[in-house]
Amino acid sequence: MKIGIVTDSTADLPAYLLEEHQIHVVPTILVLEGKEYADGIGITREEFYNRLPSLQTPPTTAAPSIGDFAAPYQTLLSQGCDHVISIHPANQLTTIINITREAAKGFPGKVTCVDSGSLSMGLGFQVLAAAENAEFGLQPVLEAIESTRKRLQVSAALDTMEYLRRSGRVPAAVAALGGLLSIKPMIELRDGEVKAVGAVRTTKQADERILNFALGLGEMERLAILHTNAEPRARKLLDELMSRARKFIPRDILFVNVTAVIGTHLGPNGLGFAAVRKTPS
Amino acid sequence: MTVDTARVQKLRTMPIDGQSLKRLIDAGLTWLRTNKETVNALNVFPVPDGDTGTNMVLTLQAAWNEIKDSGARHLGEMAGMVSKGALMGARGNSGVITSQIMRGFSRCVHDKATLDVPTLVKAFGEARDTAYKGVVRPVEGTILTVIKEVAIATESAQGSAKDAVEILEVAVKAADEAVKNTPELLPVLKQAGVVDSGGKGLFFILEGMLRHVYGESLETPTMTVQPISSMQMQDAMEEVEEGQDYEVVVDFVPGGELDLGSFYGRLEGMGTSIQVGEGEGMYRMHIHVPTEKRYEPIDYIMGIGTVTKVAIENLLAQMDDIQKGKQIQCNPVEPGHIAVVVVSPGAGLSRIFASLGVAAIVSGGQSMNPSTQDILNSFENLPTDKVIILPNNKNIILAANQAKEVTVKQVMVVPSRTVPQGLSAMLSLIPDGELDSVAEKMTKALGGVKTGEVTVATRTVEIDGVNVTEGQVIALLDGKLVVSAESVEQGVMDLLEKAGADQHELVSLYYGEGVAHAEANRIADLIVTKYESLEVEVQEGGQPHYQFIISIE
Repeated sequence: MKIGIVTDSTADLPAYLLEEHQIHVVPTILVLEGKEYADGIGITREEFYNRLPSLQTPPTTAAPSIGDFAAPYQTLLSQGCDHVISIHPANQLTTIINITREAAKGFPGKVTCVDSGSLSMGLGFQVLAAAENAEFGLQPVLEAIESTRKRLQVSAALDTMEYLRRSGRVPAAVAALGGLLSIKPMIELRDGEVKAVGAVRTTKQADERILNFALGLGEMERLAILHTNAEPRARKLLDELMSRARKFIPRDILFVNVTAVIGTHLGPNGLGFAAVRKTPS
Repeated sequence: MTVDTARVQKLRTMPIDGQSLKRLIDAGLTWLRTNKETVNALNVFPVPDGDTGTNMVLTLQAAWNEIKDSGARHLGEMAGMVSKGALMGARGNSGVITSQIMRGFSRCVHDKATLDVPTLVKAFGEARDTAYKGVVRPVEGTILTVIKEVAIATESAQGSAKDAVEILEVAVKAADEAVKNTPELLPVLKQAGVVDSGGKGLFFILEGMLRHVYGESLETPTMTVQPISSMQMQDAMEEVEEGQDYEVVVDFVPGGELDLGSFYGRLEGMGTSIQVGEGEGMYRMHIHVPTEKRYEPIDYIMGIGTVTKVAIENLLAQMDDIQKGKQIQCNPVEPGHIAVVVVSPGAGLSRIFASLGVAAIVSGGQSMNPSTQDILNSFENLPTDKVIILPNNKNIILAANQAKEVTVKQVMVVPSRTVPQGLSAMLSLIPDGELDSVAEKMTKALGGVKTGEVTVATRTVEIDGVNVTEGQVIALLDGKLVVSAESVEQGVMDLLEKAGADQHELVSLYYGEGVAHAEANRIADLIVTKYESLEVEVQEGGQPHYQFIISIE
């Protein structure tokens, strides 16, 4: 049984992995100063984050259309796949999963849509687990996704509360965080919800906190260091992890400058990670 | 001073019952109140927040309020009420330790109808033991040492003492010597040239009791003149004594040598809370008087010198204003979530704490320490059993711990010693987390921030290698005096230098009452100009005494 894997660009998977595992990615849409960009095309992530703070009108994002998903489903099924698994970000954060479900209706019994409950590499690792098991059939793929999700930890320190608050995608209690003081929120993505896990006031404190979160995870099967144009900080985090927990981190560690579609809601100079533990917590 | 021997003889032979204890407590309180300013002035740092005397008076006042209408004759019963009142009314570290002394004493006599020599000696011993147990790391050269010396001295006098009065005499003498010796035990006292304030307060309580036995006056203070800058005109937390509705402050230059004895004598006929300060040839007199006597002190002083300035304030109206300023809306706490209670010294800081999600705010801080009861009241009615207290002042931590002891709720005290530490801890709050682990995270966060405080020196002293002249601006870094300067601006800049600000990212300036927002911004601009990589945030703090509270992180 051959399983086709579809996701969207918010999974943040690097091109070489997409190619290696034959994962099909549907780009999401970024609207910047009235102009629409397919995610990853026409503007680099560095350029986007550099421009973000000074933009007159905040950028917006849009989900792909039903047709954008129906097309790859059609292609994969006609190229010999017996089934398609389409994995996407949490429905609390975007409407993408609902669009894929609509698209799947055109292929009864042939497409299974999965709400990852996550985002960026938190979604990406579930897609990878699915792809690695694609040759074994539908059930092993679903089990691999479920197993990965249970062991997933996505945490981040944002540089400011501003972008997240503006996004309207966080509970009121999180949006109110900080109040009169300027703060850097620490957040966690769990079952599709953005949860505040405190805040700090300086970059140094943020870096320490993220490092401590990571050190507290124990042995990791997968790890991606995520940032929004904060590569030097991400490198430093990696160095610290290498020197303090070499035994606990996997050999291959991904470095991801998070997609602009997500970054629009986080702002630049954020640092975090997505990790899959060896054993469930 | 003459001892009324007939009275002493009578008191020596009378059994000491509940009513006798009540009179002794009254005497101890009255004498302590009379000498309150002397105790307040015993401040290690030359900062305007000496309040040990005030705290101990308010603690004892709470004990007195509990017994003042009681006709109980049983000693143990009366002592129990004293202990309860002191416990709930305890303010500041010395107040809390005083309440523990009362508690140990009352526990020892709880089944005694009257007091005899062995019981009294044993009670001093228990008072000492309870006081030491109430403190995590007892420090010698403090009120603890004084009660310890009293316990030791009375124990060795037990064999030869004929009656309880003799034991009390021994106790007062031992307390006096122990207080004088405190600078030998605690180097900071020696450096600052003062004795321990809490120990001195305990001495006054015991001495007041003995003066009562001797029939000596309890209203005339050991006369003191303090530097004008250390006079505290803002005893905000202090209740206005009944009938003393007006505060009168008169600045004057005496016509000749000021005879302090007769000066105090005349003022005592008019009112209470008398303070006299002196500086650069000028005197300042402070007094609380009843409405009908509010012009008397002015008329009197005009007769003995030249009056340069007069201020009359209605204390009741002042209290109203203070109460109004305290009304800051906190977020409602979700049932079962962790509620954080903070002590905040200013309206601006209260607003910031409220915006960070605290459930209740107790007004207080430097020179206005809330009582155990005040802290307890703030969280008793919240719809949760999980409470974290941030005292935000080193002198409020013990009262917070005491509030924890007397409630059925699960309370953790995160021992924040400064406002910046408290704010830092607040940012680690996870309201629906596990109480223990959240408290641990918040405690960890205390270390992540340095605290600067800028104020005006109340006396001339050399401490921690810094020479300070009265009236100069001084700055403390994490509780240590590091800078004296000619202006607030320079004080702030020098402080940041000492704090190694160039190694940090963010400086938050919380400006106090009396500092204009524009002035705070001007200083912030100077900081940004000097430290280009530093972010500076300006917030209204509204705290008294301190021009700036600064966090450096």
